Amino acid sequence: MTTTLIFYFFAATLIFAAFRVITVRNPVHAALFLVLTFFSSAAIWLLLQAEFLAIALVLVYVGAVMVLFLFVVMMLDINFAPLREGFAKHLPVGLTVGFLILIEMVMVVTHWKGLANPSTVVTTEMSNTKMLGQVLYTVYAYPFEIAAAILLVAMIAAIALTSRLHNRAKYQKPEQQVVVRREDRIRLISMPAEPKD
Amino acid sequence: MLENYLPILFFMIIGIAIGAVMSIIGFLLGTRRPNPEKDSPYECGFEAFEDARMKFDVRYYLVAILFIIFDLEIAFLFPWAVIIKSAGLFEFIAMMIFLSILVIGFIYEWKKGALEWE
Amino acid sequence: MQTLIYVITILLYIVVILVPLMVGVAYLTLAERKIIGYMQVRIGPNRVNLPLPLLNKLRGFGQPIADAFKLMFKEIVLPTHSNRFLFIIAPTISFAPAIAAWAVIPFAEGWVLSDINVGLLYILAMTSMSVYGILIAGWASNSKYALLGTLRSAAQVVSYEIAMGFALVGVLMAAGSLNLSDIVAAQNGSFLHWFWLPLLPLFAIYFISGVAETNRAPFDVAEGESEIVAGFHVEYSGMLFAIFFLAEYANMILIAALASLMFLGGWLSPFQGIPVLEPMFAWVPGIFWLLGKMSIFLFLYLWSRATFPRYRYDQIMRLGWKVFIPITLVWIVVIGVAILVKLPPWFDIVAKG
Repeated sequence: MTTTLIFYFFAATLIFAAFRVITVRNPVHAALFLVLTFFSSAAIWLLLQAEFLAIALVLVYVGAVMVLFLFVVMMLDINFAPLREGFAKHLPVGLTVGFLILIEMVMVVTHWKGLANPSTVVTTEMSNTKMLGQVLYTVYAYPFEIAAAILLVAMIAAIALTSRLHNRAKYQKPEQQVVVRREDRIRLISMPAEPKD
Repeated sequence: MLENYLPILFFMIIGIAIGAVMSIIGFLLGTRRPNPEKDSPYECGFEAFEDARMKFDVRYYLVAILFIIFDLEIAFLFPWAVIIKSAGLFEFIAMMIFLSILVIGFIYEWKKGALEWE
Repeated sequence: MQTLIYVITILLYIVVILVPLMVGVAYLTLAERKIIGYMQVRIGPNRVNLPLPLLNKLRGFGQPIADAFKLMFKEIVLPTHSNRFLFIIAPTISFAPAIAAWAVIPFAEGWVLSDINVGLLYILAMTSMSVYGILIAGWASNSKYALLGTLRSAAQVVSYEIAMGFALVGVLMAAGSLNLSDIVAAQNGSFLHWFWLPLLPLFAIYFISGVAETNRAPFDVAEGESEIVAGFHVEYSGMLFAIFFLAEYANMILIAALASLMFLGGWLSPFQGIPVLEPMFAWVPGIFWLLGKMSIFLFLYLWSRATFPRYRYDQIMRLGWKVFIPITLVWIVVIGVAILVKLPPWFDIVAKG
């Protein structure tokens, strides 16, 4: 009973926040509403007993991805008015895509049988982080390594896109500074005393 | 399990409530004598002549993107760290391959100077 | 009815945690001024007394309370071109996660409000939220100094969060659990079983990253009063400023608590396993050990502020990315190998579950 109430509370918050993301004018407000959306979905995952995934969602999406979003909308200082002008022109395409997604969702939802049978839900006393760990690195080892490859591609792409980094500055290099010895810098030479004339 | 999360929810609500109450106290008790000079943004004696929001070095965005990637990596490491004591060599090697793929990326960004700041 | 009683019990527990925390924050500010004062051969605050028996002998002991009242009556300046709503809620956004993280901290054996299985992950998630307060405050102020401070501090906080996360992975490997009480239990034995010894590099990195995460000296370029006046909160005054201040100090105490729980055995007695001393100090409740260990870290915070000059920004980023991350990665592999070969005395016990 209470769980259902809490679910409806978070679900309503989620839908409201998601709606505001696409309707508010200020992009910073939109990004903050997206944070609220992720937060509410994390709460719903928690209600499904997926505690590791729920908190990982907060950690990765709220703690990292949205920080980048905010960075961009706050600091890039984009003027969003010209972006809105083509709204009517792009409307037919947008509606078509939206309609296709809707049909696909309906098809998936009506044919989904995975969790319909409650006996498939395993309830154990073990924490679900451990359960996740026991399958992720054995049964799903290939997808796991592929994830590493995808992250590598992302890393290289990010650097390639910003590769106009030119360094004009001169640095101190502490790792070179600390290994300098006296002999590298000082040369003692003995000279005969010069007679004064 | 869920009953353990109820105090967390309360904690968050109370945290927000304390912040809100303190802000309200500040507005109620504090004096309020605004004038244009006082309310202008801080600027060493100048008048602010342009909007403060400006474009910044691309490095800051790069740091944010790299942060996301490393954060995901940490999220992948957490379940592994929890089971490693009861797991065997296979899991260990799986993670070593994962880490070495990402270390390649790390070395690449290092060599490319993405970690240099001026 | 039963639900109501349950809810009231939880609320009471929260008060029991928060009131000492807030008092701790208030007196940490006094301790900071006093300790740094003595380190610089000054006396520090010594005028305001508390009109209470015993306490009225301690000069300066009423200073935090006087400061609180002063801040209450200060004007809150709202800058002209600021975004009013975000400007006002930004301090609360940075305060709420700093408070909420305390929900999972165990203070002694069994003294924990919400004993969740993913405690450490939750803490990491909450600390990663602290950057929002900074970002929103800096942007809403619409001031150049605030924006510069915000950028610096946000990039710094996220960089050190990675080093911190990797250090936590090391702790998890050694403990085999994300639950903070289990992590302390895994260090049971003697002070040589505490994780500071097998995880020594991670211990140092965790605490230093903690200092950087909370934007404290010597990593306080975000504030850097000599160059960008006060960083992201330059436009804040009065109570709104006070909330930022409280959040910063609550985060400092949180880092101290976590460092003691994960690396110094939390509430475990330091005399465990030592023949004569262990029974002699057996009567001391666990929470005193924890508070004692936390005080050590808080003192380190203040000591480093009084001692070290401020890092330059490129040095900070270099330290975080080029020194800490490689060290933590290497050490994770080292612990992995140590666990595989079951290196005694830390890794020879097979984890339960």
